[in-house]
Amino acid sequence: MTASTAISDVCKNPIELLEKYKESGINVLGYSCSYIPEELIISGGLQPYRIPNLGSVTSPLVPTFICQFASAVLQNILRLEEFFSGFVIAHTCDPMWRLYDIVKKKARKPIFFLRVPHNVEGELSIDFFKKELLRFKRFLEENFDVEINNEALRNAIEVCNMNRNLLKEVYMRNSNGKNRVNGLYRLQLTLASMWMPKKEVNTQIKSLSLENNATRTGNVRIHINGTAIYDLNIIEIVENAGCFIASDDLCTGSRYFWDNVNDSEDLIRALANRYMQRTPCPSHEPIEKRLQFMDFMIEKFKVQGVLTIANRFCDPMLYEAVHVREMLTKKHVPVMLIDYENLGQEAGRIKARIEAFIESLSELR
Amino acid sequence: MNGEKSKSRILQTTKKIGELILEYFARASEAKLQGKPVAWITVFTPIELLRALGIYPVAPEHFGAMCSARNIILDYLEEAERRGYSQNICSYSRCGLGYALSGMTGLMPPPDILITFRNSCDVYVKWWQSLHLHLGTPLFVGEAPYVLTPEDLDSYVLDYVVKQLMELIKMAEERFGLKFDEEKLVEAVKLSDRASELWLETLKLRKHKPCPLGGRDSASDIFPLVVMQGTKEAVQFYEELLREVKEKVSRKEGVIENERHRLLFDGIWIWYAFDLIKYFEDRGAVFVYEPYSEAWAYRLDPSKPLESIAKKILSMGLNIDIDLRIERFLESIKEFDIDGAVLFSNRSCKSWSAPQLVTAEILGRKFDVPYLIFEADMADPRQYAEAQIKSRIDAFLEVLGER
Repeated sequence: MTASTAISDVCKNPIELLEKYKESGINVLGYSCSYIPEELIISGGLQPYRIPNLGSVTSPLVPTFICQFASAVLQNILRLEEFFSGFVIAHTCDPMWRLYDIVKKKARKPIFFLRVPHNVEGELSIDFFKKELLRFKRFLEENFDVEINNEALRNAIEVCNMNRNLLKEVYMRNSNGKNRVNGLYRLQLTLASMWMPKKEVNTQIKSLSLENNATRTGNVRIHINGTAIYDLNIIEIVENAGCFIASDDLCTGSRYFWDNVNDSEDLIRALANRYMQRTPCPSHEPIEKRLQFMDFMIEKFKVQGVLTIANRFCDPMLYEAVHVREMLTKKHVPVMLIDYENLGQEAGRIKARIEAFIESLSELR
Repeated sequence: MNGEKSKSRILQTTKKIGELILEYFARASEAKLQGKPVAWITVFTPIELLRALGIYPVAPEHFGAMCSARNIILDYLEEAERRGYSQNICSYSRCGLGYALSGMTGLMPPPDILITFRNSCDVYVKWWQSLHLHLGTPLFVGEAPYVLTPEDLDSYVLDYVVKQLMELIKMAEERFGLKFDEEKLVEAVKLSDRASELWLETLKLRKHKPCPLGGRDSASDIFPLVVMQGTKEAVQFYEELLREVKEKVSRKEGVIENERHRLLFDGIWIWYAFDLIKYFEDRGAVFVYEPYSEAWAYRLDPSKPLESIAKKILSMGLNIDIDLRIERFLESIKEFDIDGAVLFSNRSCKSWSAPQLVTAEILGRKFDVPYLIFEADMADPRQYAEAQIKSRIDAFLEVLGER
């Protein structure tokens, strides 16, 4: 099975889609991460568009020791501002927090900062996050002259839940040791879901043939541990080195769609529950919940090795990598940390390291 | 200028800080021996509350700065790196983790509880998580949401922090069998407020020309506000300091004899390279204002102790909106008659360094104040490019001299 033309095209050049939105007069709200409920944006009649790091290397506005991922996202926001009606940034890590500061000073479009409690556990966090979501709703209503009612929100939740179910269904085809859908393809479906209109992407995913497509990849079953990956080249490097990406905990991967929003009389509360109770981002607490999720994925997808893929200056991942290694060592699951700044320049080195890792895994089998 | 002369530029009261620090740590160990819980805290946590609970706070950030200043940090940094921590993460945290992983046999007693409120950076959460996983010590992670407008200090944002403080009290009472003492809290809040008041008054005296208190003083003198809030010793220290600085003002005595340039320093100090401040002073430039020094002071209202502490946790310098930060930055330029700014781009402190260029740009545009930005690390001396930094300082001072 191959990605339908539209989806793979969108993933090759997501910026082109922005041009199409502009031509069609669609209001696009650029958003930074998977803590931002697309449901609210959609219910306000806007098109959510997750801002990738593609097409820019770094921003000259921040020092070189700031995570290049955030730096490139910043550069894209400012470079592509004309295509957006506004932006919403979530408080995850320090660079994304400060990215809000800089965009606020540099961009002219409305910008909203969503404060996500870093300790996601407990009623207090959910209550606070609910209030933040209500503030976000007001921001959308006031800035884009829309009214977000319960019906619109319920419909948006439904279409987003549908999208998540479809993505999870494709994903689960690899469970219990089966090599059915490769990582590149799955990532394309997820990324397209963050860029394309939800109904359209859902229709496309539904119409896909569900035949096996994992023939191009190797057989060593790998779990990818990381944050957000938009650059499909890194996935291709991994798969071409002989891996089959069985699972991941990426925020552009399984963490995006794993949990649904439950129906409720208080839909904003239902959203707060979903976003606080899902597997947290590496920048958040409790870390145990993340380690448990990874452990679950490794068992469910019969994983033989883990690749932690991190930006060289990504604080959350650099701390977490130590604990991931400790946990996996106890489980006798080999792990390798691949950290990089500029994929284009470092592809050769990364490829050689992954090949060596795969070779060592093959020897273990 | 010879070493002896430059030494005399430091205030007599400042010279007592070293002893105060050692005493503080000695008391921490005593407390531990007496069975009192010791908390490892990040620096902007509710210390006053811990005093009312009978928990002794020590701050690994402060420990990291001290180890760096005393040139004993490398072993800890290297231990953390051996255990897999990247050199690209905060050096305070590497020091604290390295210390925790190498047996905790130095000045800082092992923790009974780990407490942090995310406010000045998100690294706090990761660092404290890591300590928790390595040591198995109970962990409290609080959130002080980014203050976007002054109204946040009187809304659901404040309410959220107050409720978290109440959770912390409950957790400490249940875990250690302690009894929260409200009277003690009010007393600690009064003392903490008084120390802040005195420090702010002292900092204001730096408006005088010549400036009576320099960077080497302010860098050390913050210590009692970092971990000794809510103690009589802290208040006594600031009373003494204020007296000395007032006397200097009345004698028209400055840090340096011939004050040619009044500078702002933006960032945490470089603890292993204090001589850099002296390098400026030797060339007629004195630091008269630092957001870092001011950040430690916060006025509290003893009639609303919990609310007051919550506001303090929320309002720490880096946790308020960029417009509010820039506003204060620009105000200080006029207030202290500053003619140049030095911005330290600190590899360890990404939350501070990331928006610095944008701030500098505004500074240059609005006030035509020349600025210097240089990169280094606050506590890890291994990549410090001293010669290069000094030559940039020379060029900067030359520009200032020509104006």
